[in-house]
Amino acid sequence: MTADDYNYSVFPPDDDVEVFAGWPEALKVGTKAPDPELLELASGQMVPLSSYTRRGLTVVELGSLT
Amino acid sequence: MEELYRTYAARGVESVFVYVREAHPGEHLGPHDSLERKRAHAGEFQRLFDVQRPILVDDLEGSAHRAFGQMPNMTYVLNSAHSVVFRSAWTDPDTIRLALDYLLGVQARRRAGARLAPFYSELQGFRWVDDAAFQAGLARNGPRAVRDFAEATQRWARGEQLGSLAQRRAAADVRPA
Repeated sequence: MTADDYNYSVFPPDDDVEVFAGWPEALKVGTKAPDPELLELASGQMVPLSSYTRRGLTVVELGSLT
Repeated sequence: MEELYRTYAARGVESVFVYVREAHPGEHLGPHDSLERKRAHAGEFQRLFDVQRPILVDDLEGSAHRAFGQMPNMTYVLNSAHSVVFRSAWTDPDTIRLALDYLLGVQARRRAGARLAPFYSELQGFRWVDDAAFQAGLARNGPRAVRDFAEATQRWARGEQLGSLAQRRAAADVRPA
């Protein structure tokens, strides 16, 4: 998927039906989570998500302003 | 979610917000065409809602978002082994609070010597629906966001599957003149 495909300009996105239908089988409880490198807004540094989760229970919310 | 963050930080729970693609882009808050724009939107989100949690910005291709299931506003709870111990298709503080209280209780019982074995479970969640606030959010994004959602709602009400843009264009091509 290209960045242009992912960042759609007209709601709903192309992959809307597939995403909602696929959610029940996506990353399930009991499985190891991905550990992406993410841009930490406060520091401007790239950090692995695990730099937070290794400290204990971690709530990870994914979303946007809109 | 900020209140939940403060409450549970005092009990040793971390919280982060991963900034992903715009769910309802409009003229004022459009889709991300660069990482700088995505970063700017994340900063605007932080200022507008006084977000105190660390904000982590996903890459432009949505690698993290897609790896976690790509729902518009989902929440996971991960443990120190980086495993999923709770997930929710939508972010609802009451549901997350329920999970955290349970999981913190498990930790306390284990520290007290209880032998506890994990098992798989599911829960039907119920989230608040606030149409006025949602429409106000769409208006903030721009008139196009309002119009796109209204059109999608009408099509959903007619029972239409919206499908992919290619499918929608193909459908439009065969529509009688």
